[in-house]
Amino acid sequence: MSEKELSAAEAELYDRQIRLWGIESQSRLRAANVLLIGIRGLGSEIAKNILLSGINSLTILDEGVVTENELLQNFLLNRDSIGQKIAEAVLSKAQALNPLVKITTDTSPLSEKTSAFYKDFTIIVATGLTTKQLIEIDSICRDFNVQFICGDVFGMFGYSLSDFQMHEYYVDQIRLPNRKRAHDGKASTSSEVITEKIQAKLNYPSINDALLNADSSAKGRRKRGLQLYYLMKLLIQFRDKNGRNPSVSSKDDDLAQMKAIRNEYLQDYQIKEENFKADVLNLVFGEITPICSIVGGVVAQEVIKAVSHKEAPIHNIFLLNPYTFSGKEEMVGA
Amino acid sequence: MISSAVPSVLKDNVRELIPTAKILVVGAGGIGCEVLKNLALSGFSDIEIIDLDTIDVSNLNRQFLFRKEHVGKSKAEVAKESILNYNPDISIKAYHDSITSQEYGVNFFKRFSVVLNALDNRAARNHVNRMCLAADVPLIESGTAGYSGQVQFIKKGVTQCYECQPKPPQKSFPGCTIRNTPSEPVHCIVWAKHLFNQLFGEDDPDQDVSPDTADPEAAGSVANNLHQSTDAGNVQRTSTRQWAQQTDYSDVKLFNKFFNDDINYLLSMENLWKSRKPPEPITWEAATACEGEKKEISDDVASDMEVWPMYLCAEIFSSTIGTLKKELVNKEFLIWDKDDKVALNFVTACANIRAHIFSIAKKSRWDIKSIAGNIIPAIATTNAMIAGLVVLIAFRVLAEDYEECQSIYLRQKSVHSNIILAPDFFIDKANPNCYVCAEQPYVSVYVNVEEMTVKEFESEVLKKTLNMIAPDVILDGKGVFVISSEEGETEINNDKKLSALGIVDGSILKADDFLQNYNLTIGITNYIAEKDEPLFKIDAKSEELQPNQQNGRQNGSTDKSAQQENDMEVDDDKNDVEFIAPPVDDDDPQEGTSTKKRKLNPPEDEDEDLIMLDDP
Repeated sequence: MSEKELSAAEAELYDRQIRLWGIESQSRLRAANVLLIGIRGLGSEIAKNILLSGINSLTILDEGVVTENELLQNFLLNRDSIGQKIAEAVLSKAQALNPLVKITTDTSPLSEKTSAFYKDFTIIVATGLTTKQLIEIDSICRDFNVQFICGDVFGMFGYSLSDFQMHEYYVDQIRLPNRKRAHDGKASTSSEVITEKIQAKLNYPSINDALLNADSSAKGRRKRGLQLYYLMKLLIQFRDKNGRNPSVSSKDDDLAQMKAIRNEYLQDYQIKEENFKADVLNLVFGEITPICSIVGGVVAQEVIKAVSHKEAPIHNIFLLNPYTFSGKEEMVGA
Repeated sequence: MISSAVPSVLKDNVRELIPTAKILVVGAGGIGCEVLKNLALSGFSDIEIIDLDTIDVSNLNRQFLFRKEHVGKSKAEVAKESILNYNPDISIKAYHDSITSQEYGVNFFKRFSVVLNALDNRAARNHVNRMCLAADVPLIESGTAGYSGQVQFIKKGVTQCYECQPKPPQKSFPGCTIRNTPSEPVHCIVWAKHLFNQLFGEDDPDQDVSPDTADPEAAGSVANNLHQSTDAGNVQRTSTRQWAQQTDYSDVKLFNKFFNDDINYLLSMENLWKSRKPPEPITWEAATACEGEKKEISDDVASDMEVWPMYLCAEIFSSTIGTLKKELVNKEFLIWDKDDKVALNFVTACANIRAHIFSIAKKSRWDIKSIAGNIIPAIATTNAMIAGLVVLIAFRVLAEDYEECQSIYLRQKSVHSNIILAPDFFIDKANPNCYVCAEQPYVSVYVNVEEMTVKEFESEVLKKTLNMIAPDVILDGKGVFVISSEEGETEINNDKKLSALGIVDGSILKADDFLQNYNLTIGITNYIAEKDEPLFKIDAKSEELQPNQQNGRQNGSTDKSAQQENDMEVDDDKNDVEFIAPPVDDDDPQEGTSTKKRKLNPPEDEDEDLIMLDDP
């Protein structure tokens, strides 16, 4: 089987998606080498979706061990997995999702990784990291021209944040030719269309800029829209301090701590009280599977867009509203 | 341990209900697999799953509970095993069966706390909608198509039902366009499928492939004077099938008839070509002598996407006819299937030869398979997102927080929009004149009472269009038993015209479907279809069929995105559906298609069984 041409077996397997994004995208996916950091609730969803899409290889990096709690949120595990390294425990089910993808598991600590580890990936997908880790890895990605996306789920809330650097992509713009008239005098609804490939570019701010240098000059309407951005920032900051996500087992303490961070934000960023209500903090506990399903779908779709250079990607943050389930793109950091 | 999978942030009453709530998932396809996983990982432990289908290789890019070794097995059964492998303590029951079967009556549905639809066709959706209305069980509808998707909550007395908004009819093309004056590849593809059915398939008089002399546009042409046109407007009375059998399916004779003689005949209908480029007939000898790069057909995608040269079309025409003729031995007829290589090759060859004759762009086998097979593209990510929303809405339905169960639309990100998931602002209220969920359901049927038989009325109008399963029909005021769901009771009426039973303009019929617990009053209007008009039409109260103005105003000034697409569809490819149409809206080219009329203001639309777009 040549490197370039998809086999008949692949064509059959990927038929329904090739009919959506085209053979060029499928060939690019087939050449993509993806690093996934963190294979917990959200990570397992991302892994599932990108394995199914037909990438070349997936490296799963996670030093954690399967606990009962992990088991409840990860369909790639089963009861026998408890006590095993999580990255190794997911392997058999992950591989079964797509036998054509080369999967590598890595259970060494993230702290041991040098830039040489990251440089050969097409894209790096990170979950569960701290601000410092995100910024460091992103900066390495920038040096080596590797695309980067991260995301997390906190209770009913979830986000994704991308740095695709200077990202070139195309969309197939479809238009109808001049309307013909059918012989009965009615305008014909022609099914013949003209497809044009439209090239476009997006420049992404670094993760550092997106997380730390958000424009504090944003006013009124825009600032209201950013409530969920500040929630995202708050939750990552909580993780930075505590080395973990907010937990139901220490709910009262964690809530108090998050409220304190919120109060700082209200001051520092001059956010109106009603634009960042404390109530939402009650919803950020646990890694809820249906939310992982949504955010994992979003992140994986962004990976597919990044790798295939087709379709407009989210630029640069996706925020899921925990009350309405509205999902919007916000541009922060440029 | 199971109970701890219940999300801790949910309200206490929901947390208590989840472990014992009884959930029915209808469909174990792309959305169904994702929904089952989300249910199992959210603490639900009493689940039933029903699906008629078996697993196909082309499912495996998204239906992640299945693997290659499961191909050919029951989706419901394998999905169940896969979920049990994750958590053996969940009670999960699988039915490899059709949800429209009589076994699943109102009492079956009443057992569930909520029903989750993950279907791929409108008929089954309509049926489950009615069953849930009859059983008064909340239903969560969902559908995806490509990058788009939708979730809609339905509950009797609270929201719209699935059938409150009229859906555009299936796309069809005028017979004379197909038979006489094709102008687009799809016309040639439809013609080629009809040709397949004429030669090898089940007889269908609506699928004639010969020149149509009754074409009003051809009136006055020489041909009409030379040939005696028959009532049906066909050139000859011998059926295409009989004629082919008489020639023993001779490839040369068939080729010359369809691509030379019939085309010459069309040319003689001169009026057709006054403002069109006339077709150029081609004989077998000429076609096989055509220059073209010699090539083999292979199965890799790249060659599948190449357009065959003329000589190859002719060769494949010949070889596929030979194979299909052999397949027909010992069979009454063949059924066209996009996944049958020979049948697809035949259609590809014939569509392209015809396209060549009419100077229409030729298409690759890959493209023809999409069009002829109504294939709806489907991906894992879209299904995952929609299935996540389905289960989030299910939490709220269990809590009876119905006002928070607005429809949510997934839209492809474009540079023109920053919205990916767009919830509606309000619950859609029921259409008071819906012919399904209204207090006294009523529908007008326009039909030629002198022409349509009782049997046709039952199969075409009541079953295929009004989606009844086993109707009983009485002519109101006369007490005439027209149709009975009991075998043998009204067969004698089958071939009678409606008028012969006293059904005339202004008659009222009372139709009752026992299974669906559905009573419908049908007002009959006599209607004589003009050429290329449908044989019958249905209409709820027409003034109520307009887009939902009230909601439009409510939502109007706010969020554009919430007003867009309004339909849901499927998550797989099915032949009983409509046609994939290219999007028209230049602003957002991906949002293409819809089976439901857009209810609110303009812009786009989307969907999955697929349909031509409507005008805004």
